[in-house]
Parts: sequence; C-alpha cells; structure tokens
Amino acid sequence: MRIGIVSPYSFDVPGGVQNHVLDLAEALIGLGHSVSVLAPADDDARLPPYVVPAGRAMQIPYNGSVARIAFGPISSARVRRWLARGEFDVLHVHEPLTLSLSMLAVLSSDGPVVATFHTAMPRSRLLDTFESFRRITLERITSRIAVSALARKVQVEHLDGGAVEIPNGVSVARFASAEPLPGWPGEGGAIGFLGRFTEARKGFPVLRDAFVALAGVRPGLRLLVAGPGDPDDVMEGVPPALRERVVFIGKVSEEDKARMLRSVDVYVAPNTGGESFGMILTEAMAAGTTVVASDIDAFRRVLDGGRAGRLVPVGDAKALARALGALLDDPAGRAALSACGREAVARYDWPVVAREVLEVYATAIEATDGRVVDVEWAPPRTG
Amino acid sequence: MVGVVALVVLLATYLTWTATRVDRLHARAASAARSLDAHLLRRAAAAAVLAEERLVTELYSAARIALDAGADEREAAENDLTRQLRAVPLPAAEPAADAVVAASRRLALARQVHTDVVRDTLSARGRPLVRMLRLGRRHEQPAYFEIDDPTLAVTATPVPTPAQD
Repeated sequence: MRIGIVSPYSFDVPGGVQNHVLDLAEALIGLGHSVSVLAPADDDARLPPYVVPAGRAMQIPYNGSVARIAFGPISSARVRRWLARGEFDVLHVHEPLTLSLSMLAVLSSDGPVVATFHTAMPRSRLLDTFESFRRITLERITSRIAVSALARKVQVEHLDGGAVEIPNGVSVARFASAEPLPGWPGEGGAIGFLGRFTEARKGFPVLRDAFVALAGVRPGLRLLVAGPGDPDDVMEGVPPALRERVVFIGKVSEEDKARMLRSVDVYVAPNTGGESFGMILTEAMAAGTTVVASDIDAFRRVLDGGRAGRLVPVGDAKALARALGALLDDPAGRAALSACGREAVARYDWPVVAREVLEVYATAIEATDGRVVDVEWAPPRTG
Repeated sequence: MVGVVALVVLLATYLTWTATRVDRLHARAASAARSLDAHLLRRAAAAAVLAEERLVTELYSAARIALDAGADEREAAENDLTRQLRAVPLPAAEPAADAVVAASRRLALARQVHTDVVRDTLSARGRPLVRMLRLGRRHEQPAYFEIDDPTLAVTATPVPTPAQD
C-alpha cells in the first residue's frame, strides 16, 4: 500500500505526536508498505529518508503557547506537489483541526483520508470562529482515529462524529533492549519518575514524600528523576541528608528515556488525574520495569485492572510508601508483575497497533473507491 | 458595474462549489453504503461457516436470515446475528472463530465510516441554500444503518466444547 502521512509539527521539537508519526511510519515500512511523511522542516534538515520537508515552520502565538507550524500559500503548494507525486492509496493526517499541513492536506485532497486525533481538546479558538471551516475539514475525512478513550469522547460529544479508538504504540523491542545507566539500579534499590514534576497533576510531591519516608529506613534506596525543570524544585522538601540519593538527570532523549526506565526497580506514576492514556506506563512495562501507579481510569485500563502493575490510592503518600516498601522487599513479586506487564504491553507493540491502523486504511479505501488525488480548493465563505 | 460583475462571479463560484460539495458527499455516502453492505455479507458468511463447523443451528439460521433479509428487516436481522455471535465462545486459535471476530471488527469500522458520511450528507442537505436551490434533489437521501455495535470480544482461553443454548 502507498501511504502518505502528514505531521502538523516539526520534528526538531520532540513531542508525542511527532514520535507517534515516526514510529507509525517505521512500523508500516517494517510491514512492507511504502510510506512518505510530510512534515514542516527546512530543506537541509537531517531527516529520515521517508520524510519530505514542507518548508520551515513559523513560530506563532497560538492558544496561549507558541506553536511551530507551517500554513500558508507556500506550504499549500508543497502539500499539493507532494500529493500529486505521491499517488497515495490513503492519506493519513494527524491533528487536522490545527491550522497546519494536516489541514492543508485534507482540504487539498479527495479520496480516502484517515485522521488521528491525539489531544483530548483539539479545538482551537480560531477555528471555533470559522465553524464552517472546521466542518469542511471534517467532511473530507473518511475515518477518524482517537488515541485514547478521552480523545474519542471529545469526538463524540464536541465534533459530533464517531472515532475508532486505537491506542498509542510503543516500540517494545527498543525499550526491552536498552542498557541501564552506569551504576543503576544498585544494591539498595531504585525508584524512578519521569515527567513535569512541577505540574500538580503529575503528583510528584506524593512520590517525594513516600521516598523520604522510605529512604529514612532503607539506607541504599535511590530515586531517579527525569523531566524538564529546575533541580531545586525536585529537592524541595527533601531533607539535606537524603539529597545525594535523589538523582536528577533533567530532560532526556527518547534513547535515554529507555535507559532511564531500565535503570530502576520500580517506576512510579503518582498522577492525581488528567491523564488520557498513560504512554509512560506502557514504556515502563516494555522496559520490563515494575510499575506502581495511581488508581485513575486511564492507568487502570493500561495496567489491566492492576494485574500488570500495582495500583495505589490517588494522592496517598503513606499508601504509596507501603506499596513500594513491600515491592522492594519482594523480588519475586516484582518479577511476576513485570512479566504480566510485558504480556499486557504486547497489545501496544507498534507492529500490532500498525495492523489495526491498516484495517482502518483498508476500510477507508473501500468506502471511497479511489485513491488520493489532489484537488483545487476554494476557501469557503461564511453565510 | 465592475462591482456587480465581480459579485455575480463570486456568487456563481460559491454556488458551483456548494453543488460540487453536495454531489461529492452523496457519492461518498453511496460508496460507504456499498462497502457496509459488503462487510455485512462477509460477516454473515463467516458466521455461517462457523455455525456449520460447530453445528449450531440457531447461529446458522441467524446467518442465513441476515444474508437473505430485505432492506426493511435487515437491521433487526443483523442485530439478531450479533446476539447469536455473542452467545458462542470465539477463541482466537480457531480459524473460523477468528474469521468471525475479524469480519465483525471490519464491519464496525465500515459502519462508523458510513454513519459519519451520512450525518455529514444530511447536514449538508439541511442547509438553507441547499434546500432553497434543491441541490440534493438529484440524489436519494441517505439513511443511517442503525445496528448495535457488532464488535466481538475474543474468548481468552480456548473452550473445549462449544456451549450451546
């Protein structure tokens, strides 16, 4: 199958959508398909061979933050050229409701179009002003995919349409084979956390309190923290005597993330809510690390109701400390949980997820009888 | 004068564009309906094969009825087939059961695509301009295909003898 994939965001800024697009493209290529990915990038940017640059992304203030997107006549011309040359059997765009290459591609094509919605809130204020613009974009999409139950709910309730739920994939082999960081996990045990620890909903203080309680009675226990932020914020509330046992490695690359997850005995996700999927849990399970997570809907689903990882009450540092203490003393129990975790994560392995996506492609192709062609499009007038 | 000409051209462009849009939606609704029909037949055929292998009479007749159903009784017949399929164990290791599960999954996808395009088409037909100029009159009004979610769960452990009720 000839597949054209469009990424709305540039690959020089790492992000969930970008990783998803690259991993999906590689999984599809691995299954023997021909894939071309269009993304905002300079012509001389270093990119994987299957990525076609669509020109530099502009930085524009957008929904309260800065977005790097490509949108305009030059981008539009590049999109049409890519569509005309690609002769794709199916076009797969990501986040088409942002002003981006994805939207341009949807508007410039006719034929089977599959769209993946990543965030739970894909609406932009700008688009809300141009309701008809949004409707015309959605109208050209044959089949919608949502990466989580929450993203699907938004589709049903706010964009009046159904969507197939296909979860984010994880490259199990890459995580399973990563080398632990030198000297980790060590004799006294190691606990890990990755994420924006300053964000309240990530629940880092709960883990910190639990660690402080445990470290007092367990002399060798260490905490490995990764994520963007200031080291002082990590150490806040940690007694000076324990500070050398809290190791902060800052923001990590994809490769170091896998190594970091392999470096700890237990990975903790103390989130207090607001998670739609729990990608990091699938990654920790793929790395073969035992997972302890807050008992919230998304995590319960990923951890198979607690079979593939221990669930603890939300925001309860004492309960978390008890669960961690019990697991640190029980290597056999940890091994059993991580074995279940590996089994549960097989369902999220990229080749498995990519086959589900291929079924959606096949359905979209059958339902439109025809391949993707580029078309002239006139911007709609309101009225 | 130039302004009037420009206005007329703009209006004509908009009307052509809207008419094309309405035509395209109807064409897509029709081809989505054909694809849905094909997947309904595939599922019923896969269910008939499974019923023959297992000698489950109720399932076999439900599959036959679904295959032969006329337009007005088809939704009920398909729902009945879904109910019959939910009552039998479907271990992934058994090829005929796996084929039924796969056909049901594809049917769920085809139905979703159909529902989405029917909704978009009906909404386009309902717009004032389209109604006023009767742009939809050349096309038959598409209709939803109202059935329960046909997705089936795979039976986790193989069941030695099929339960029959």
